[in-house]
Amino acid sequence: MASNEFVVPAQYEDLTPAPQVDNKTLNRMALRSYWLQSSFNYETMQSGGWLFAMLPGLEKVHTNKNDLAASMYHNLDFINTHPFLVTFVMGIVLSLEQNKLDTQTIRAVRISAASPLGGIGDALFWLTLVPITAGITSNMAIEGSIAAPFIFLLIFNIAQAACRFGLMKWSYKVGTAAIDALTANMQAFTRAASILGVFVVGALTVTMGGTQINLTIPNGTTRGLVAHSIVVSDEEAANFADLAIDVETAEAGTLGMTAEDGSALTAADADGNAVECGITELGNGMSSVTYAEVTETEVSYSVASTLDTVLPKLVPLALVLGLYFLFAKHNFTPIKGIVLLLIIGLLGAGPFGLWPSIW
Amino acid sequence: MEGISFIQVALIFVVTFIAAIDQFDFLESLYQPIVTGAIIGAILGDVQTGLVVGGTYQLMTIGNMPIGGAQPPNAVIGGIMAAIFACSLGMDPNVATATAIPFALLGQYGVTLFFTLRAPMLESFRAAATKADTKAITRLTVISEVILGLIFAVIVSLLFIGGQTFGQQVVDAIPEWVNNGLSAAGGMMKFVGFAILLKIMMNRDMWGFFFMGFGLALIAVNIPAIAGPALLILTLIGFGIAFWDFQQQTELKGAAFDGGDMSDGI
Repeated sequence: MASNEFVVPAQYEDLTPAPQVDNKTLNRMALRSYWLQSSFNYETMQSGGWLFAMLPGLEKVHTNKNDLAASMYHNLDFINTHPFLVTFVMGIVLSLEQNKLDTQTIRAVRISAASPLGGIGDALFWLTLVPITAGITSNMAIEGSIAAPFIFLLIFNIAQAACRFGLMKWSYKVGTAAIDALTANMQAFTRAASILGVFVVGALTVTMGGTQINLTIPNGTTRGLVAHSIVVSDEEAANFADLAIDVETAEAGTLGMTAEDGSALTAADADGNAVECGITELGNGMSSVTYAEVTETEVSYSVASTLDTVLPKLVPLALVLGLYFLFAKHNFTPIKGIVLLLIIGLLGAGPFGLWPSIW
Repeated sequence: MEGISFIQVALIFVVTFIAAIDQFDFLESLYQPIVTGAIIGAILGDVQTGLVVGGTYQLMTIGNMPIGGAQPPNAVIGGIMAAIFACSLGMDPNVATATAIPFALLGQYGVTLFFTLRAPMLESFRAAATKADTKAITRLTVISEVILGLIFAVIVSLLFIGGQTFGQQVVDAIPEWVNNGLSAAGGMMKFVGFAILLKIMMNRDMWGFFFMGFGLALIAVNIPAIAGPALLILTLIGFGIAFWDFQQQTELKGAAFDGGDMSDGI
């Protein structure tokens, strides 16, 4: 596959702020935002749909074709936000694009504004609006009411449209109003935005990084003594008295009372407490015998729990840093990164059963 | 299944096509089982049963929403298959819902696989971007949606015609290691996106902020009470740090009386 080497310039060629974008264009963007996840994929998540939604605005503010190409290219960065709240980010980013801020600033603001909205949107929609409306209308449907699906669709979509169209206009207004104060201190703002951006990516590595090496390695066996108590007649109890064993070499299941030197064995009872083996006469011709059984339990070594004691989420961190290194120092293209991960994924899964899966 | 008319198959194909797209885009509500149940019921001539099974399935999915990018059992395939079972096989709505769950899991796996395999398509978007070709972006968006809709529509139509054994055969045909490997790779692909963002924003004096975000997130996700809104809380902290840095930088600049040209060369 052809790789698209393209270096996004630090600044646009045409640095004259574009005129204010009209309402019609903002509405077109909000309408297109309904297709935010149209190209959803695990590399950059919503980026394709994001660019599709941003295009009406980007075309308005970037009349220079090179600038439009640069802007389109960097608007394909990884983005994952809540579909119903995305227009909030779109308005802010459009106001930055319109004022021709440094591309790095725009990219940093975009990831910082988009990422936290996911949790807010989930809480508002999937955990509040849907359960309530769907819960009520589901019961209506089970009782046979044909109105139920329509009521559900109506409430849900009024809320959705209000969010998408309302946030688009509001955030664009806020963004353009704030821009003058920001452009006066451009370098400091770029730096601050980048700080927040790398901070958020660090946090995302934890909150979205689920990769773990779930490999357990059998690590030999451990020997133990388990105590058992029985009540038998005094004569039978005498048979137990000289059961001497070598704890280190006896096979699992061997019973014993004393070690080879004659000292009483100490074993663990059902509650894990240490008890000493021995015979206690109960006085009625019966004796209580406590004897020990040699046990062998298999021990396995969990890679995941060892890694977690070093640092939780070590695998996602290592992968992000490793990929960063390849991209920054070895000019890896995104597609090479993806192929590399596919190979790691398949090799790790133990192809053709050649080795156990580590996932 | 007997007595399936061509028109029914065609209608189910169209409904599934739309629902498959709607589960991620457009109204993001047409695909809900409460809606598809009634529609499938209407197609198969039993709206009442469709409503009941749709409502039943919907109640089951309420705890299974696509939160935080996680893929729940697929409600499109699950909801539609449940309605098909109830309306055409005469299953009790509860039984139909339970019978549909393996298909929903198949759909969940399929979506994960699809999102993994769709990543290379981004290269086409990038190619269009470098030429500032806005029409190509629209074209790719449409193609991308049509492929998704077709995959779902074909699978559900085949299941509708072929019945229950077919789904299991499909699942059995794929070796387990391929499943595991692809889903592990899918889970890792976001790291490519992260690494590219880092490459853009990072310079030498910023690593500390990256690791601070990482470390604070580790703490936050392990406190159950704040694990849900962790990312919002972390962004607020990050914002505080960035804002403080901004104030420091601008005050220094004011004191030095220059235009700020002396600094960092990003």
